[in-house]
Amino acid sequence: MKTYSYKKSHALFNRAAKVIPCGIYGHFSPAPLIPVSDYPFYASRGKGSRFRDVDGNEFIDYMCAYGPMVLGYNHPKVEAAAAKYQKAGSCLMGPSPVMVELAEYMVDLISGMDWAFFAKNGGDVTNYAAMIARSATGRKKIVAISGGYHGVAPWMQAPGHHGLIEEDYVNMIRIRWNRFDEFEKAVKENPGQIAGFIASPYHHPTFVDNELPGDGYWQKVQALCNKEGIVLIIDDVRCGFRLDMRGSHVYFGFEPDLVCFCKAIANGHPISALMGKNSLKSEAARVFYTGSYWFQSAPMAAALATLKELRRINGPKIMLERGKKLLDGMVKIAANHGFTLKVSGAPSMPYLRITDDETLMLHQQWCAECTKRGAYFTSHHNWFISTAHTDADIKRTWDIVDEACKVIKKQYM
Amino acid sequence: MSYELVKAHLNLYAVLQNLEELVVHDNQMKDFVKDWNLSIQFYVPGGPKAFIVFKDGKCTVGRGVKRCASILLFFVSPAQLNKMFDGKGNPMLLRGFTKIGFLLKKFPVLTDRLAYYLKPTDELLKDSNYLELNTRFTLATAAFAAREIALHDPIGKLVCGHIRKGAVQLVVKPEGPGAYLQFDENGIDVKKGFAQRPMAVMEMKGMKEANAFLNGKVDGFTAIVKGDVAIKGQTSMLDSLSLVLDRVPEYLS
Repeated sequence: MKTYSYKKSHALFNRAAKVIPCGIYGHFSPAPLIPVSDYPFYASRGKGSRFRDVDGNEFIDYMCAYGPMVLGYNHPKVEAAAAKYQKAGSCLMGPSPVMVELAEYMVDLISGMDWAFFAKNGGDVTNYAAMIARSATGRKKIVAISGGYHGVAPWMQAPGHHGLIEEDYVNMIRIRWNRFDEFEKAVKENPGQIAGFIASPYHHPTFVDNELPGDGYWQKVQALCNKEGIVLIIDDVRCGFRLDMRGSHVYFGFEPDLVCFCKAIANGHPISALMGKNSLKSEAARVFYTGSYWFQSAPMAAALATLKELRRINGPKIMLERGKKLLDGMVKIAANHGFTLKVSGAPSMPYLRITDDETLMLHQQWCAECTKRGAYFTSHHNWFISTAHTDADIKRTWDIVDEACKVIKKQYM
Repeated sequence: MSYELVKAHLNLYAVLQNLEELVVHDNQMKDFVKDWNLSIQFYVPGGPKAFIVFKDGKCTVGRGVKRCASILLFFVSPAQLNKMFDGKGNPMLLRGFTKIGFLLKKFPVLTDRLAYYLKPTDELLKDSNYLELNTRFTLATAAFAAREIALHDPIGKLVCGHIRKGAVQLVVKPEGPGAYLQFDENGIDVKKGFAQRPMAVMEMKGMKEANAFLNGKVDGFTAIVKGDVAIKGQTSMLDSLSLVLDRVPEYLS
């Protein structure tokens, strides 16, 4: 199989490093891609499940732009809806009627939620959720899960990161995932002080196996939140619309007070949403929160088209099934070469790890070998499946996985 | 732990240990100490304690108390020790009065030479020998300082509180120098050289690239993507270590 090279990507990065901090910053920084020389840095175009980099290499994308791509790049229905509003003027002196239409559609779609508020990024709405919780309860503290990610606002980041001061995290209580006893303890030790509990529907940190909720975990958390007047916030930014169209809380059988959506909501168009129960609607209205581009109509139209299409085809079911098919095949291929490939999390957004080497170096090499043959895998983060991933993509991926296993077997065994 | 106490830990356990390498790699200093045969104890009550032994042309720096050290330097507080390291104060000499000449005239030549290597300028770094020694000492200082910060600095403790067990290797290619931190249930150990099976590795491409990276002239993300620094393994350990190392300048400017 031909392996890729990335001359133009590297040249672009060298230019970027002179004028942009980090060259490429944030979650798109190539730094966690190991070895970095085996990965492309810049993309040029995408269609369906695939994208091309600036060197012309084509990849079956298993990161889906870290989640936003869910129906396939450049989906015709989504792009047509966005283009219609873009042509009419996406940022005008007042919101478009499509904002109302989208809110009504989402209130109808998402279980237990009575209102919707739109912003741009996931962190916009997780932050807004915490502000609403604090405003509603008159309390300061927020309970979150160690290793959980909710964005980049100072309170969301772990101590020690640059730009943070002690006051940013002094009201954060971090507990371990699936440890209801630790939540109980936090509530007991901070009586009447906890405003909210925020977590993703299941635990999907980087670098380690992902964990689903234990039996009864969410139900016990919900019951304690209800009893103590703590606002239960679900960060469904990553899982949203990849487990259940009605919200991932339906998939796990519980009812939060606030739910945050972004990523898959508009198939790559910039929009996020906070949804909530009626009991918090007035409080949401009291918290002043806005942004220059939060009322753009084109992303709202894109979101509406994306959600309608995902609902029509039952997108989560497709992604869960295709993910399972892909992963079952990969596990078998790895086993044929003597490797144990462990899959954790949901099949529509799995985290994979070759367990034969606890340092992850073997796994990193395998992901890199696959990537430079055209299946874009990362070793540190969960992957994403889209409805655009076809059987042909899966078959091609299996061939790549097979060859990559042969390569690493020669090097390591 | 107070700021002064953490800084005293860094001075005694991260800076001082560089004397061992100084008398190996700097020929002038190697010749200068070849006939020295004595030991110096640094003593801070309720604080860090370290000693230096000069014998047969070698220098050994150790933690704790060495019995019957030739010279005993007593510091009433960590702050007093830090003042001495900053060149603004003196210790109390409790033992070794006959060696006061050595302390006033000879030993400062050695410590001044170390300070010279630890305070680079762009002009000095044009000399490849200087660059190599500055890199070597900066790497070792960073590794040893990381241990102290991870154990004693309030934020360092939070950052490293949940770090995975195993060794984190820092190395300059192709042949070193290297240093590694070993995290396990007993705490954190730091050593010069190479771990047998590190959980995470940070490889710097060469002395020049390592020097720029260790002296903060290039950010880690850019250095990695440009290929000047390579990381592999359990890189979340390197993320934590990086945050700890970023705190060193809080104490050692």
